[in-house]
Amino acid sequence: MGESGPGDEASGVNVDGESPTAPPERVTDETTVHDDTELERTIGLVGGLAIGIGTMIGAGIFVFPGLAAQNAGLAATLSFAIGGVVALLVALPTSELATAMPRSGGGYYFISRGLGTAYGSVVGLGLWLGLVFASAFYLVGLGHYATAVLAEVGVVLSVNPVIAVGLVFGVALTALSIGGTENTATLQNAVVGILLVVLTVFLTYGVLDAVGVFGRESAPEQFFSQGIFPAVFSTAALVFTSYLGFAQVATVAGEIKDPERNLPLAMVGSVVIVTVFYVVTIFVATSAFGAEQLGRFGETAMVEVARDLLGVPGAVAILFAGLLATFSSANASILSASRAVYALSRDALLPRKASEINLRYGTPHVALLAAGGPILVLVATGQVELLAEVASFLHLVMYALLCVALLVLRRRDPPWYTPSYTVPGYPVVPALGAIASVALIAFMQPASIVIGVAIMVVSYGWYRYYAGDVSLKGAV
Amino acid sequence: MTRPPILVPIRVLEGEPIPDGVPELLANAHVVLLGYHVVPEQTAPGQARMQFEDRATGRLDEFESLFESVGATTERRLVFTHDGQQTIDRTIEEHDCLAVLVPNSTQPPDDILVAVRGTVGVDRLVRVVAGLFAESEVGVTLYHVAADEETDEDSQTLLDGLTDRLAEQGVEPSRLETAVDRDVSPLDAIVETAAEFDAVVMGESDPSLSTFVFGMPTDQVAERFLGPVLVVQRSPETDDQ
Repeated sequence: MGESGPGDEASGVNVDGESPTAPPERVTDETTVHDDTELERTIGLVGGLAIGIGTMIGAGIFVFPGLAAQNAGLAATLSFAIGGVVALLVALPTSELATAMPRSGGGYYFISRGLGTAYGSVVGLGLWLGLVFASAFYLVGLGHYATAVLAEVGVVLSVNPVIAVGLVFGVALTALSIGGTENTATLQNAVVGILLVVLTVFLTYGVLDAVGVFGRESAPEQFFSQGIFPAVFSTAALVFTSYLGFAQVATVAGEIKDPERNLPLAMVGSVVIVTVFYVVTIFVATSAFGAEQLGRFGETAMVEVARDLLGVPGAVAILFAGLLATFSSANASILSASRAVYALSRDALLPRKASEINLRYGTPHVALLAAGGPILVLVATGQVELLAEVASFLHLVMYALLCVALLVLRRRDPPWYTPSYTVPGYPVVPALGAIASVALIAFMQPASIVIGVAIMVVSYGWYRYYAGDVSLKGAV
Repeated sequence: MTRPPILVPIRVLEGEPIPDGVPELLANAHVVLLGYHVVPEQTAPGQARMQFEDRATGRLDEFESLFESVGATTERRLVFTHDGQQTIDRTIEEHDCLAVLVPNSTQPPDDILVAVRGTVGVDRLVRVVAGLFAESEVGVTLYHVAADEETDEDSQTLLDGLTDRLAEQGVEPSRLETAVDRDVSPLDAIVETAAEFDAVVMGESDPSLSTFVFGMPTDQVAERFLGPVLVVQRSPETDDQ
C-alpha cells in the first residue's frame, strides 16, 4: 500500500488557528503508522460486516415494509431491489477509494482528498448530520416497537408513547456511549447474528407459506397496484435509508484489519446480504396481507405479519428482534456520527475541541453530544418519513460525489492513488452510481429536498467562514 | 552472549511506573518497550493519539532511560489500540521477543526461580536465562514438578541436561541449583516456592480448555507471586524441541 497519503498537501489554518493534522506515513494490514506511533487495526471482516448489516437491517425490515407497501403496493419489492442496486453501484467505487485511503472518516475523507475542501466540508458536515437524521429515524422506529410491546402486554396509555420512548433511548444511548466502556463490538456482532438467525427462520417459513406449501391462500395482489411511475421510484427513495450502512463501514476504515481485503468485502457483502433479506421480507409481508392492509399497520407491520404466520410466539420474536435491530442501528449511527466529527476536527474543519476525549472514560464526549443532542431534537418531531428521507438525501449527495471523486482521481492519476481493489466496469459503474444517486433524490418529497439543500448551504457557509484557508486536496 | 529480546508492555497513560528492580532484572536484555493505550470502541485510536501522544512519548522517554541507565539496550513502540492483547501479540511477533515481562516490583535480583515444565521450549528458556544472567551474580534455581508417571531419574535427567546447557552458555555451575517436587499442583508449588525468589522465569502454557476457563497459569502465577514474571514465549514454529 502507499507509502504516503493523499493529505501530504493538507495545509492552512482555520479561524481558531488550527491546522489539519499530518497524514500517516504508511498503512500496514495491522496498523496505521504516524512517526513513532502506531494505531492498531482491530476490526476484522466479521466486525465490518456487523457494522454494515447492523446499521442497515433495522430500518429495512422492521420499519419500512408497511410504509413501502402503502406507497407502492407489491411493487415495493422492486423499490427495495432498486435501492439495493443503487447502493451496490456506489459501494463498489467506495471500496476502491477505501483501499486507496483506508482512514477514518469514510466518504468525507475520500471526497475531501479527491475533490477538495469545499466539497469535503459539505459532505463531511452532511455526513455527520445525515447520521444524526438516520439515528433519529431509528429511534422513532424503536419507539414504535416499544409501544407495540406495551400494547402486546396490555398496557394502555392515554398518550402515544412513541416519541417519549425514542427520547428516553436517545438519552440512554448517548449516555451509554459516553460512559460505557464495555466491549460493545462483541455485543453488536452477537446482535447481528441473532437477528440474521431469527429473520432467516421467519422468512423461510414465510416464503414456503407464500408459495402455498402450507396450503393457505395468499392474498392475491396486483403487482403495480399504485402504478410504476413515480410510486416505485419515490418508494425506492424513501426506503433508501435502509442502505446507508455500508458507508458506516468506511467511517471506521482506519480501524479495519487487512483493509485491502476486508473493506471491499464488508461493504459490498453487507449491501448484497441486506438486499436479499429486504426483498424477501417485502415479498413475504405483502403475500401475507396485501399491501393496503400492511400499510395500515404502519411501522410495526412486520409484527402483524409474524402473528399471522406463526401466532403469538412469532409476533413476540419479531417484536424482540425489532427492538434489537432499531437499537443497534441507532447505536451504530451515533458512533459513526461521532467518528465523522472526529475526522472533520482532525482536518481543522471543526474545532479540535470537538474530538476531545474525556479522561475519565476515554470517550469523545463532545463529539458524542454533538450527535446525541440534535438527535433528540429530531426525535421529538416524530416524522419517520421525513427523517428517513433527509438522511438518505445527505447520504445520496455524498454517494454521488464519491463516484465523481473516483472518476476525477482516476483521470488525474496522482502518484499516491494506488487502490488495491479496482472497481469493475470502470467508468460505467461509477458514472451510473453518480447518476442513480442524483436521480433517486429527484423522487423525494419537496420538504426533504429543501431541508437537505439548506443543510448543504449552511455547511458551505460554515466552511467559508471557519476554514476557508484550509486545503485538503491530495497532490495534483 | 547475545541479548535476548524481552517485551516489556506498559499501559503508558495509566500512571503505571516501571516497577522497582525490573530494570536491573533486564540489564542484559534487549528491552522492547511497548507503551500502549487501550481506548474504548467509541473512540478512534487516532483521536486518542491527537490528544495523548506527547504525554505518552514523554513517559516512554523516562522509561527508556531507566533501562538504558542499567545497561540494557532498548527499542520502543507506542501504540493506541482497542485491543491490548492483539497489540502485545503483534509486537512479540514483529520483534521476535523470546519472553514477555509481567511487571511487578522486586529488589535488584539475587536469586531467580526457573520453572521447567518439560523438554518442549527448552531452547528458548536457555537463551533467556543465559542471556539475562550469564554475566551476573544471580543464583538460578531450576525447578520442576514431576508428573505422576515420571520417575525421579527422568526429572533429574531433564534438569541436569538444562544445567549443562546453561553452563555451556556461561552460567557458572556454582550459581545453578535444581529442585524437584512431586504430588503437588504445579501452579501452587511454583507460587509457593517462588516466594523466596526475586523473579520467576516460566514457559507460556498451551491454550486449553482449563486456560480458557481459569486464565493462563502464567497470569495466575504473576497475580499470586507479586514479583516480576518472565513468560518465555512458544516458538512461532511448532517444531521447537
